[in-house]
Amino acid sequence: MAIWNKSSGGLRALLHKREAEHDMDEELRAFLDASAERKMRAGMPEAEARRAARVEMGSMESVKDEVRGAGWEAAVEAVWADFRYSIRGLAKSPVFTIVVVLTLALGIGANTAIFSLIDSLLLKTLPVEKPEELVQVTEFPLTNPLWEQVRDRQDVFSGAFAWSSEKLNLAKGGVVQNADGLWVSGDFFHTLGLQPAAGRLLSADDDRRGCAALAVLSYGFWQSHYGGTAAAIGSTISLEGHPFEVVGVTPAGFYGMTVGRKFDVAIPLCATQVFDGPNFRLEQRHLWWLHAIGRVKLGIGMARLKSRLAALSPSIYGAVVPQDWDPASQDKFRKRVLRPAPAATGLSDLREDYEQPLHILMAVVGLVLLIACANIASLLMARAAARGKEMAMRQALGASRLRLMRQLIVESILLSLSGAVFGLLFARWGNTILLHFLSTVGGTVFLDFSLDRRVLAFTAAIAVLTGLLFGAAPAFRGTRESLTIAMKEANASDRRRSRLRLWIVASQVALSLVLLVTAGLLLRSFRNLASADIGFDANQVLVVNANLFAARIPESDHTATYDRIGAELRALPGVVSAARSMTTPLGDSQWNTVIHSDAPHALVGDDNTAYFNFVDPDYFATLRTPLLAGRNFTAADSANSQPVAVINQSLARKFFPDVNPIGRTFRPEGGARKLDPPVEVVGITKDAKYESVREETYPTVFRPIAQVAEIRADSFELRTALPPATMRKSIQSAIASVNAAIPIEIHSLAAQVDDSMTRERLLAALSAFFGGLALLLATVGLYGTLSYLVAQRRIEFGIRLALGATSRSILGLVIRDVTMLLLGGIAAGIGLSLATTRLLGAMLFGIQARDPVTMAMGGALMAVVSLAAGLVAARRATKVDPMVALRQE
Amino acid sequence: MGEKSGSLVQGTLDMLILKTLALEAMHGYGIAQRIEQISQGVFCVNPGSLFPAFRRLEREGWIKPVWKPTENNRRAKYYALTARGRKQLHSETEEWGRQIAAIDRILEAS
Repeated sequence: MAIWNKSSGGLRALLHKREAEHDMDEELRAFLDASAERKMRAGMPEAEARRAARVEMGSMESVKDEVRGAGWEAAVEAVWADFRYSIRGLAKSPVFTIVVVLTLALGIGANTAIFSLIDSLLLKTLPVEKPEELVQVTEFPLTNPLWEQVRDRQDVFSGAFAWSSEKLNLAKGGVVQNADGLWVSGDFFHTLGLQPAAGRLLSADDDRRGCAALAVLSYGFWQSHYGGTAAAIGSTISLEGHPFEVVGVTPAGFYGMTVGRKFDVAIPLCATQVFDGPNFRLEQRHLWWLHAIGRVKLGIGMARLKSRLAALSPSIYGAVVPQDWDPASQDKFRKRVLRPAPAATGLSDLREDYEQPLHILMAVVGLVLLIACANIASLLMARAAARGKEMAMRQALGASRLRLMRQLIVESILLSLSGAVFGLLFARWGNTILLHFLSTVGGTVFLDFSLDRRVLAFTAAIAVLTGLLFGAAPAFRGTRESLTIAMKEANASDRRRSRLRLWIVASQVALSLVLLVTAGLLLRSFRNLASADIGFDANQVLVVNANLFAARIPESDHTATYDRIGAELRALPGVVSAARSMTTPLGDSQWNTVIHSDAPHALVGDDNTAYFNFVDPDYFATLRTPLLAGRNFTAADSANSQPVAVINQSLARKFFPDVNPIGRTFRPEGGARKLDPPVEVVGITKDAKYESVREETYPTVFRPIAQVAEIRADSFELRTALPPATMRKSIQSAIASVNAAIPIEIHSLAAQVDDSMTRERLLAALSAFFGGLALLLATVGLYGTLSYLVAQRRIEFGIRLALGATSRSILGLVIRDVTMLLLGGIAAGIGLSLATTRLLGAMLFGIQARDPVTMAMGGALMAVVSLAAGLVAARRATKVDPMVALRQE
Repeated sequence: MGEKSGSLVQGTLDMLILKTLALEAMHGYGIAQRIEQISQGVFCVNPGSLFPAFRRLEREGWIKPVWKPTENNRRAKYYALTARGRKQLHSETEEWGRQIAAIDRILEAS
C-alpha cells in the first residue's frame, strides 16, 4: 500500500507536472498570505508585513526545489534531464555520434546474432506444455516393435510418443519437391499438449494398424502452400504419390521435435503400411528409425526414472529380439538398457557439431566488442579533454563531481542503447546470413529466431555493460579537472590521460592480434581441408537421383529402366561420361558391414568394419578415381560369375597387411551376421573419402551392381563438358522420355563436397570477417590516439624544430613511442594467443593450435598495418610550423 | 531545520506535524504557527523543511491533503491525519518516550 502510494504519487507528479507545480505555487502563496495577515493583525503595515513574510520564507524557488527533491520522481526527472542534455550534446557532434553508434551497432549486433543462434539452438525449450517434464526414453533410436513395448509396459510417463523424420515428395513425377515429413505416433500431439490452429490433430485412434491415410500440416506449410485458408482441411495432399487427407493444422511456433529443422506434414506411424506394403517397417526388428519421448509423471525424479526404466529393460528388449540374429548377438540385445535423457530443449543433430564453434564465435564477437569499446573510450576521452573547461566551469559553479559523472555516464549509456537498437537490426540480418551458411543440399537449417526475452535481456545487458565499460574511465577522468588547471592550455592531467590512452591502444593491439591469429588458424585449417586430396574430382560432376520405387515401376523392370536412363543420359550433348552407383562420396547414404579377409595376419572382430559402395564399370572413370593395380569391373562380372570387388588403399593396408590383395578373397557378414560367399579382390583404387573430408579415409569396398541385384543403386553421376547448371533441363527431359512418373533430384557433386565442410567454412569466414574488423578497429584506434598525442605535443615539436631538430628526428621520436607500444601489444597478443588457441584444438584440420607460422604472420600483419597508421599520424608532427605553434602558447 | 532558536532533533519534525494534525486538519501556515506556539517559541519551523516534510508524509500515506476555503474564503490546502498516520504517531510517540527515558537515565547516571 505504502509503496503504491509512493509510486503513484510520484507518477502523478511526473505525469501531471504542471498541475503539481500549480498546486505547490498556490500552497506556498497561501502560506505567505497567512503569514503576512498575521503580522498585519499584530499591527504591521501591509507592505512591511508582506516583505517580512517573504524574508522569513526565504527564496520561494529553493523551497519548491526542496519539495520537489522529497520524492523519488526527482531522481527520475534529473536522469531524464541528463538524457535530454545528452541528446542535445550528441546532436551537436553528429559525426562523433554516428561513428560511435555504428561501431556499437556492429559490435552489439554481432554479439546478439551469435547469442540468438546459441539461444535458438542450445537454450530454448520447446514451445509445448511444460517442456521441462519431457524426457527422451533412451538416447538411441528404437525399432517400432521396441517402441510398442516401451509404450505398453512403461509406468513412469503420463504420456509417451515416438516420431521420425523423412523427406516426402509432394510432386507426382518430374523434379522432386520435398516436404519435411514427420512420422508421429498417436499420442504425439496429446502428450505435447498442443491445440490445433485449424481442424484437428492426430490422436491415438488415428494410429492403429490399417489406419486411414491422414495428415496434419504445420502452420508455416499451411500458410505458404494453402494461404492459411480453411479449404485446406479435408483436401488431399500427395506424399510420395500416395493421397493423404489433411485433417488439421498444428499451432504457429511449433516446428517439430528436432531443433534446426522444421516439419511440413505430420502423418501417423501406421501409415507406413501405405508406403512399404506388406513387409512394412512397423514389424521390422532391426530398423532403428524412431525417437521416443515421454512426459514424466509428477514427482518422479531422474534417478527413479533411470532405475525404473533399467528394471523394465529386460522385459522390453526380451520381447522383441531379432529372431534371425546369431545367439551371441541376441544375448547382447537382451542385455540392452534404456537410458533416459532430458529433452526439454528437443533433439538436434546440429548441437554436437556446432556447440563448440558457437562458443568460439561468441568469444570472438565478445572480443570485437571489447576492442570497439576501447576505441569509443578513447574517443570519449578526447571529447572529455575538449570539454575540460566546460566541466571545470560547471564544477566551479556548484555542480558536484558525482552529478557531472552521472551526466557523462548517462551519455555513454544513451550511445550504447542506440547502438543496441541498431544492433538488433544488424542481428536480424546476420541471422539470415548465418542460417544460409549452415544450410546444405541435404537439409535447409531452420531455426526459430523470434525475439525472446532471453535474447532481449542479453542485448540490453551487454548494451548497458558496454556503456559503463567505455564510459566509466572518461567520466571519472573527465571530471577531475580543477578550474585553474583547466584554464591553462597544456597541462599535467592531459599527460595522464594520454598514458591511459596508450594503454588502451596497446591492449587493443593485443586483443586484435588474438583474433587475427584465431582467424589465421581457422582460415588455414579450412584451406587445408578444401585442398585436401579427397581422391576424386568433384568438379563438373552432377549427381542425379531417379526414384523408380516412387514411380511404381515393378522391381523386375528396374535394371532395364536404369539401363535405358543411363543410355539416354550418355547420349546427351555435353555429357562426357555417366555412371551409376548406390551412393556417392560424401553423400547421405552409407553401407557398411564387418568383413573377414583371408590374409594370414588379418584382424578379426567387430572393428573390422568396411564401407561399401555398389557401382557400374564407368564409376571410377567418371569420378576420376585412379585404379592403382588390378582391373576394373567389366560386363563379364555378372550375377553368374565369381563375386569380385575393387578395394581402396586403406582397406588393402588394414585387411591385407604385407600381402598383395589382388586375387585374395574376403567374406562380408550378411544379414543375421552370417558370412556371405567369398569375394575376390580384382583391383585397388586410390583412397577416396567416403563420409566426410575430415575422415581418416574409410576402408572401402566397391562391388559391381550387376552382382548384387537387391541393392538400390539409383544414383547417376554425370561428368559434363558444359557448365552443370545448364544441363538440368535436358537431364529432366531425358529421364521423362523413359518414364515421366520418375521423381528426380539433381545436385552437383561439388556442392556435396562443400556441404561436408559447412562448419569449417562458417568458422573460417566469420573469424576472418571479425579478425579483419578487429584489425580495422585497432588501426583506427591507434591512428586516432597518435594523432591526438602528436597534436598535444606540437608546441614541444615546434620548439625542437626551432632549435634545429630535423623533421627526421622528430619523426623518429614519435615512431620510437609507437614501436614500444606495438612491441608491448604484440608480445601480449602472442602470449594470449598461445594461452587461448588451444580451445580451437578439435576444430583445426592439418594445423597445430600453436602454429608458429600463423602467430608470426598475425604479428607481422598487425605490426605493418599499425606502423603504417602510426607513420601517417606521425608525419603530421613534422609539419608543425614552429612560429604558429609557439604563438599559440 | 529550526532556525531562530532551538533546532529540532533529526526526524522529530514528522512526529510534531502528525501530533499537530491529530487534533484537526490544518493548512501549512497553521501547522507552523501551532508548533511555534505550543513549543512557546522554542521551535520555529521554516517552509524549506515544512513543505518537503508534507510531501514525504503524504507519500507515506500518513497525511492526506484536502482543499478547503480559508477563513477569508481563499482556497487552501489543508492536511488531515489518516488512520495509518494515527497509528504511526502512536508508535513514534511511544518510541520517543522510551528514548527520552533512556537518555534521562544516562544523564542522571553520570
